[in-house]
Amino acid sequence: MRNATEQDFDDIVMKNDKPVLVDFWAPWCAPCKALAPTLDELAEEYAEEMEVVKVDIEANPALAARFGVRGIPLLMVVRDGEEKARTVGTISRSRLDAFVEANVGGQ
Amino acid sequence: MADVAFLGDPAVKAQALARLRSHIAAGTFVFFPAWADGKANIIGALVEADDKQAFAERYGYPIAFATALEMIVNAFKVLPDAEEFVGALLERTPVGVDLSRIVPQVLVSLLASPDVVALTGRYGEVERCRREVLALHQRVIGGEVPDRKEWKAIRMAAVAASDAIVDDALPHLASLIVEAAAWPATMRSVLHDTLGACGRLEIQQMMDTIGWTQAQESRVFKIREQAEADGRMAELEGLDRVLALLDHDDPELARGFRKRLEHFGKLGDHYRTVGWKIIELIEQAPKAVLPRENAD
Repeated sequence: MRNATEQDFDDIVMKNDKPVLVDFWAPWCAPCKALAPTLDELAEEYAEEMEVVKVDIEANPALAARFGVRGIPLLMVVRDGEEKARTVGTISRSRLDAFVEANVGGQ
Repeated sequence: MADVAFLGDPAVKAQALARLRSHIAAGTFVFFPAWADGKANIIGALVEADDKQAFAERYGYPIAFATALEMIVNAFKVLPDAEEFVGALLERTPVGVDLSRIVPQVLVSLLASPDVVALTGRYGEVERCRREVLALHQRVIGGEVPDRKEWKAIRMAAVAASDAIVDDALPHLASLIVEAAAWPATMRSVLHDTLGACGRLEIQQMMDTIGWTQAQESRVFKIREQAEADGRMAELEGLDRVLALLDHDDPELARGFRKRLEHFGKLGDHYRTVGWKIIELIEQAPKAVLPRENAD
């Protein structure tokens, strides 16, 4: 799983050949921390279909502003350089799976 | 040695108990944070870090159980009760038993709970999903390893079935239990998410019992928010201030809110019951066959 910054976000996410699930998080956000192991598993499970990329909004406030991030954890699917879907807040693993399945497609 | 209690080593159990007892004796056992400034909850006390994976690996508890453990312990609400529970958990876990079937057994009991069955039974597709998810967990308990595609198919069906329930809160909440449980027990979040869904159902049932609505909850919030803005009754603090504000503005709402506080104080029964049930299941777990014994 890669981390993107304001400098390399476009290269890593917007120009990615695969769909990207972007995780906007912050070090002080407990739900974000709780979600992290699940995202690790998801990244492994969907390794062929998509990439999971993390963005620390504390270190990269311009990205938070650019994508109108008003609450975290925020998960956003980017495909072909465009945002396709987003979900904000705590989400169950089943709902997360359904979200990815609907917006990325799986095995 | 995944899911073998205390990795089959009595010294590991002794270390776990010693660490927990030392925090309890020093008054540094807490609900939160997991590990900071010398204070520790059940995870931090045993691994000296906020690391559930390490807890599972070092003591042999299933990762799904480790992930849900804080939620269960926190439901005890007062420290002496929580300390009694965590002490019992460690003391009553026999060294070297096979814990791999504990989580599916708990999930089966949650899915078979009469409250849940009564609600899922009102919607054919949700009930079908409940039965299928339960059957998958029972196969795991029987030693099978169902294909991940089977889990995925029923999980997607369960999510779709939940989404199809509109304006019927209790069956919808019951259906969320079914979809949350639609994972193999090796998935770290399955017990946490399923218990969370059970908790939301418990809250809604409580609200229905006392006739407390979201609109009333919202009205309380707005009165409190307005007081924060205009500084009214600032000489009072916390709940005392909220209750005084409600008594002044809306005595009927205040009566309902007191009832709500009283009933919500009792919430968490479900988690506590599950916690004690897990200890019973652990006590009954069969001894694990360790690699060396197998070779002999």
